[in-house]
Amino acid sequence: MPVPSLTDPPSTSTPAAAPAKPQGQPSQKSMTKAERRELQEKQRAAKAALKTQQPQGGGGGGGQPKAPKNPAAPPKKSQSAETSKQGASAGKDAITTADDTTGGNAVSRSLRIFSHFGLPKQVSHVKGDIHPAIIRLGLLFSEFKICGANARCIATLTAFKSVIQDYTTPPNHTLSRHLMTHLSPQITHLVSARPMSVTMGNAIRQLKLEISGSDIDMVEQDAKDALCLKIDNYIRDRIIYADEVIQDLAGSKIKDGDVILTFARSSVVEKILLNAYGKGKKFSIIVVDSPPLLEGKALLNKLTSGPNPIPCTYALLPALPSLITEVTTVLLGAHALFSNGAVYSRAGTALVAMMAKGHGVPVMVCCETYKFSEGVMVDGFGKNESAPMKVTKSTGRPEAVSPSQTLEILNPLYDLTPATFITAVVTEVGLIPPSSISSIPLALGKTIL
Amino acid sequence: MTSMASYQPVLSISKPENKEENQFDIYEAFQRILKDEQMSPPLAAILALTEVIENSNAGTMFELVNALKDGAEILKHRTPNPISLNAGCELFIAFVTLLPHDSANFLDLKRELIRQGEQYAAEALTYRQKIADLAVGFIKDGSVILTHSYSRVVMQTLLLAHKRKRISVFVTEARPRGLGIKTAEALTAAGIPCSVILDVAVAYVMDKVDFVLVGSEAVVESGGLINAVGSNQIAIIAKAANKPFYALAESYKFHRLFPLSQYDLPSHNSKILAFTQALQPDPPGLMGQNPADHSGSADKSQIKMSPGLDPHPPVKITQEQICQNNPNVDYTRPDLISLVFSDVGSLTPEGVSQYLVGMFAG
Repeated sequence: MPVPSLTDPPSTSTPAAAPAKPQGQPSQKSMTKAERRELQEKQRAAKAALKTQQPQGGGGGGGQPKAPKNPAAPPKKSQSAETSKQGASAGKDAITTADDTTGGNAVSRSLRIFSHFGLPKQVSHVKGDIHPAIIRLGLLFSEFKICGANARCIATLTAFKSVIQDYTTPPNHTLSRHLMTHLSPQITHLVSARPMSVTMGNAIRQLKLEISGSDIDMVEQDAKDALCLKIDNYIRDRIIYADEVIQDLAGSKIKDGDVILTFARSSVVEKILLNAYGKGKKFSIIVVDSPPLLEGKALLNKLTSGPNPIPCTYALLPALPSLITEVTTVLLGAHALFSNGAVYSRAGTALVAMMAKGHGVPVMVCCETYKFSEGVMVDGFGKNESAPMKVTKSTGRPEAVSPSQTLEILNPLYDLTPATFITAVVTEVGLIPPSSISSIPLALGKTIL
Repeated sequence: MTSMASYQPVLSISKPENKEENQFDIYEAFQRILKDEQMSPPLAAILALTEVIENSNAGTMFELVNALKDGAEILKHRTPNPISLNAGCELFIAFVTLLPHDSANFLDLKRELIRQGEQYAAEALTYRQKIADLAVGFIKDGSVILTHSYSRVVMQTLLLAHKRKRISVFVTEARPRGLGIKTAEALTAAGIPCSVILDVAVAYVMDKVDFVLVGSEAVVESGGLINAVGSNQIAIIAKAANKPFYALAESYKFHRLFPLSQYDLPSHNSKILAFTQALQPDPPGLMGQNPADHSGSADKSQIKMSPGLDPHPPVKITQEQICQNNPNVDYTRPDLISLVFSDVGSLTPEGVSQYLVGMFAG
């Protein structure tokens, strides 16, 4: 990848850390919030780079923190060169903007509308007092070694357990008031590794509630143990047991002779299929998969290995139209479920659901209630994530195109399936039509999920 | 030791009573209650279950609930179409398990449960009037209504509407039971202009109709409707013609069930839609591949057919064969239904599912 040079139009604002603004740059007031934030982050990165006084060239694959040029060139000079350059390129490149600073990928020149997708940042340095378990987890997250919504939530909560156990309340503080300030930087660190999932958000909110509710007079160790127990219970009740109930409910909808179609990989769907087949139901499975992550391969491996392999068909997304006519039921996993019934799941899910709906095949989404989000999402653009280059490279085909000056590769991780394309959501409280999702928290008598 | 000692006599007493209990047949009770013209299967099931309590010698809540569940199970197995009575059983058992009680005496509690069950059934009989009052507001003067088969709540609504407005009614014949004719006779007797149409003529008549009004076996969690077979096709045609499709359902017909398709209904069995036995034995390879094929019966037919060797045996298909081969009820998807009128209000299909989720998930 090229070291960002002066010809790199997007690097514009880089060292402009200072008052003198390049003329091409719109005044701060006229910039949108996102633009201002981008500028601010660039300035911050520039400052950091100046401080360390060394270009961090050696950073891991794809993600090279930008702006190594400032330390090399005195800010003034680069700025003037840049301004002229920008004047020339401003019009032509108006649409394209580089989020290399935020994305950590100097080549990426993604369209402005996708700039908020946010690539995982390189966890280059650790700020403040971060627990080793969290640092390790951050690395696992950013490397996509832990990827699923359930796995990430469980891993986060387990790491927080060790953070809580290793925490000692400073003098003149109480645990219930201080522990959260100790946890906040840990959470920030995790989020900087990869944007927080809805599941983690819900679990952390519950944890905060438990912390603030813990008894001030309790002996510290007891309070910590109590919190750890609460975490264990949360994992057990909301995830493990919930999965078991979902397995039974969804399994009862699988009948002999069925052809079940699933997309990518969901831990719950995998358990449902294995469990139903283990109970002697005779059905076959079509695993539909899609680049760049090709997670379906792992699912296929799990289903076909073992003492009792299930008959499976593996196909990529383009083959879906020819396969869908064979299918009796579509089983999908979910990353999150919004209160308008929309399902936020691996990119490609919406396509599968829509195709199934078009062919009158029932679509069941398997989703624990702790994945419910109070928010509403109307499309997959409002919030999304980009798959980092190194992850797509390692899982996809090696000959896959790499981005260049004129080529931008966009790999959104998620998409949104509107409620109308879903027949039923299988939760631990039963099969529910997606239109009634919003009434579940109320029915459970909860104000918080 | 003491507990053992006290347990022993109870056991010996309970044994003779057990025999008496065996003599009580919940299915007979159910059928007897159902003879009442106004009684619908869910209510009859609730009353039959109260009789189970009456006849049961259960000494604890656990035993009682088990006895009720067994009773519900018997009813389910002996009734050809168990969907609507299931809704009643489910409701009553949920009620029994959740009823907060402070009676020190178990006998008192049983008496209380029986009283509550009977009271509910009595009260539930007034629901039809409530629904009729609600639905009449949606019927305009001069409306032409299409209804399907026979439903008590639809009858009550139409008769009430007739008192205040001029309505005319098309009613489907509703084969194979032909209950539509019963509806037409009752409506004509009441002075409502009425015409019986063939089930296959629904699409023909749809453009003349202002809206469709049907009763229900059960309303399910998806917000969909289970009703006499043919309702689904009427709903589809009504949707295609942009006519409102209204369902009337008493709240005891709300059922915690989520059918994904027609074949996911509890009433679906292997006899329904089975192909007639092949005259020429099919190549064995083909037989196995057909998922709807029930190889057991097919094999037998093969064996029977092959020695005959008559190339063209006379084929006769009787009405009974057709009946056996066809479903009694079908499932109408929620997106085809405009509104469900019930005693808890006029609900959209989403509203029904929210009501059900709230009732049982809590």
